[in-house]
Formats: sequence, structure tokens, C-alpha cells
Amino acid sequence: VKRYIRKGIPNEHRALIWMIVSGAQTNMEQNPGYYHRLLEGEKNDKLVEAIKTDMNRTFPDNVKFRKTADPCLQHTLYNVLVAYGHHNKAVGYCQGMNFIAGYLILITKNEEESFWLLDALIGRILPDYYSPAMLGLKTDQEVLGELVKMKVPAVAELMERHGVMWTLVVSRWFICLFIDILPVETVLRIWDCLFYEGSKIIFRVALTLIKQHQAFILEATNFPDICDKFKEITKGTFVTECHTFMQKIFTDPGSLSMATINKLRETCREKLLSQG
Amino acid sequence: PDLGGHYQFRVIVLGDAAVGKSSLLRCFAEGPAGGVATPCPTVGVDFYSCTIPLPPAGRAKLQLWDTAGQERFRSITRSFYRSAAGVLLVFDLTNRASFERVPEWHHEAAGDRPPAFVLVGHKCDLAAQRAVSAEEAGHLAASLGMVAFVETSARGNLNVELAFQTLAGGIQRALGRGGVTPHRGCGGIRLIPSRSHPRPPARGEPRQRCQC
Repeated sequence: VKRYIRKGIPNEHRALIWMIVSGAQTNMEQNPGYYHRLLEGEKNDKLVEAIKTDMNRTFPDNVKFRKTADPCLQHTLYNVLVAYGHHNKAVGYCQGMNFIAGYLILITKNEEESFWLLDALIGRILPDYYSPAMLGLKTDQEVLGELVKMKVPAVAELMERHGVMWTLVVSRWFICLFIDILPVETVLRIWDCLFYEGSKIIFRVALTLIKQHQAFILEATNFPDICDKFKEITKGTFVTECHTFMQKIFTDPGSLSMATINKLRETCREKLLSQG
Repeated sequence: PDLGGHYQFRVIVLGDAAVGKSSLLRCFAEGPAGGVATPCPTVGVDFYSCTIPLPPAGRAKLQLWDTAGQERFRSITRSFYRSAAGVLLVFDLTNRASFERVPEWHHEAAGDRPPAFVLVGHKCDLAAQRAVSAEEAGHLAASLGMVAFVETSARGNLNVELAFQTLAGGIQRALGRGGVTPHRGCGGIRLIPSRSHPRPPARGEPRQRCQC
């Protein structure tokens, strides 16, 4: 199954496979009517307000997400985010979730399935990226820093020398799971693996992008240059050729065990907590 | 300060969600067309750079940082914006709540040695929906010790350059007074010495290293 998924799930089966491998299907079947009860229940005004603010600003170039579209995906998106915010109160709504939910809606074309897939990602696959303290996100950015130190030391040294914090160049990679950073087809291929293999795929993609463009990044001689380079490395044929790209992410960064990541996560989290 | 070279200022754009921070920045950095489209919400931080003349004789390269307005993102951007030389604090003239949160943003970014602030009332093209008067905003800017209050519109390309120019001027004056010093934090302000012909360094030409 892993090999089949790494080769890319055909688009017509994507929704179903994501539902099954992520456990979303099981959750949906075990909780019939739950999603609709969330939508009918009492609403938190502040949460609803925050979501409404982003409705006209989510994929404004996609006609299906325009206010006047029929069927109106903006309305579907609103429902999924409101339901999720009331389901997972610790997270509520965090910007970035709008893009992820938007992609899920485009792929599944089903509101309730999108909700359960969003729950699989945010509640299980990604470690605490979106809650108010964003500790999981900060931790994973540090973990990436550590991995770069191990696997692409020259780049880590450059970042350190110029005082460029990882969060400045990679926060969107993590929060939006590469939406609007890499081409759509490449993002979907990454998500295929993300749903099946878990969050370490994000590190594989990030490390591959960095390692592949090592010489290019090292041309930078100052802080703004470095930031520009990190914008550039997500463009071009390397990322549009998604077959080759997906092969690279499993070979380029070398071995990357979940044990290593968990250990790094633990030490980075400790460090962040002690810094307050 | 020596005006022979040029300065590099790190500037952060702060303010509530959807007040138009990204539009303002794009309009400034990419020209008027950049301010017209509705941008997606900024997630985390985004980066632009732009060189502007800095009278009387020099110029300043602005390192511009766009930030997410949603409150929780402060936890990832906070440590960074403390190193800024200047802050554009933006609110939406048609959204009173965004104006009322200005003191909180100011407090958040000021720290022990406050950078130069310019208060920006954005979306001034929407005159009919205005919810904050120029007088009131001007008072607030003065009471918080800001350089100035400027009303802007990215859609109408009104005063956008003026806002950034005013901030750069304010940073320069603060430097002159010794209120801030170069190398505030890491790279918040840097003076880059001039060569015989003041021009941006060509690609591949060696550039000044960060001194920190």
C-alpha cells in the first residue's frame, strides 16, 4: 500500500483513500449525525467572526470560492471550519486551516468528509500546530533546524551566522502544508503520503528542498538574500515534476526515522518551554 | 550619521487581521497594481525589500516584514519583531475595533527600547464607512509617542509611499538623537558604507556581511 501511495493516488480515488488510511472514514461511521449536530448547535461569536473574516480571502482566484458561485464552496468552507472550531475547542480556528479545508473540499467534494479529514490532520497527524500557543509548530520548526544541522550543515551554519530564524522562512510550509508554496499536483502527492505515513513527510519535503538547492542558498550573503532564496527554491521545474520530486524526497534526505524525529521533538519542546 | 553610505532598516508591519497590511506592502513594494487584488490572509510572516531615497542625501534599503494579524501568530513572530527598527502599525479606518487594539499592538512591539512607530489608518478610500476620525487617530499616535499618523489606501494608491518614507525619516531622526543605535538587535539597522558609485550591488558582487 505504501508503495502504491507513494506513486500517487489517482485523483478519482484520492478522497476515498485519504478517508480510509487516515481513519477519518471509521470516525465518520462511528459518529453518525455528529457533524450536523455541530452545525445546528450554539455558536461561539468570536470564532464565527474570525472565520468570516477569511471567507472572501480564501482562494479568491478560484471561481468556485466566490460568494456568487453555485454551488458556493465558500459556504461549504464556512460550515466545515465552524463545525471544526466547535468540535476541537482547544484549537478553534487558526488561519491556514482555511486553505487546508479548502483543498479538502475541492478533493472530496463532500462537506462532512472534509470535516473528518480536517480532524484527522489537525487532531492526529499534525502535532499541535494550530492551537493558540502553537507549540507543536514552533517545536517542528526547531526540529527542522536540527535536521538541517545534521544533513545540510553548511546551510544551518549560514542561517546561524546571519541570525535568520527558521520560523521566518518555513512557517508557511508547515502551517499551510505547502499549499500556495508548491504546485497543486505536488501538494496533493505530498498529502497522499502525509495521510498514510504521517507528519515526518513534511520534514522530508523541507529537507529535500533545502538540500537540492544547497549551492543556491549558499550564494546568499545577507539576511534578506537568504529569505529571498527560500522563496525561490519552491519554484521551478524541480517542484513541478512531481514524480521525480516525490522520488527525491524519499532518497535525498537519507534515513529519517520516526524515533529520531520524536527524540528531537522532545528535546526541542523542552528547550522552548524552558525559554518561556 | 554618515550619509555617504546607505542604511538598511528592518521594518515590521503589524495590526489586526484583515486591516490591509499585505495590500499596503504590496502596493509599496510591487507598485499600485499590487495593492488592488484581494490577498489571502498572511500565515506566519512574509518578506519584501525595497530601496527608497532618504533625504537629505542618502537612501535606505527597507527590509519589510509582513505579519499575520491573528493573535496566536504573535507567539511565533514576537521574538522577531522586537528587533525591528521601525513599525508600521496599521488599523482599518472602517473598523473601529481594529483602532481600539492599537495600544495593545504598540505595547506588544515597543519593548524596553521602542522602535520608531508610524500609525496607519488604512482603506481611506472607503469614506462613507469611516469609523475613526483623523483627529482621534492623530491624538492616539501623539500620545503613544509615534512619529506620525498617516491615512492610506492601497486600492487608491494614496499616501502609501508617504507612510514608509515617514517611517524611514523617523528612524533616521531617532538615530541622529542616539535614541536607537545601528545593530539594534541583529540587523535591525545597519549602515552600509558607500562605494565610489552609490548603486545597489550587482549580482555576484561581494556584499557587506552581517556584523552581529
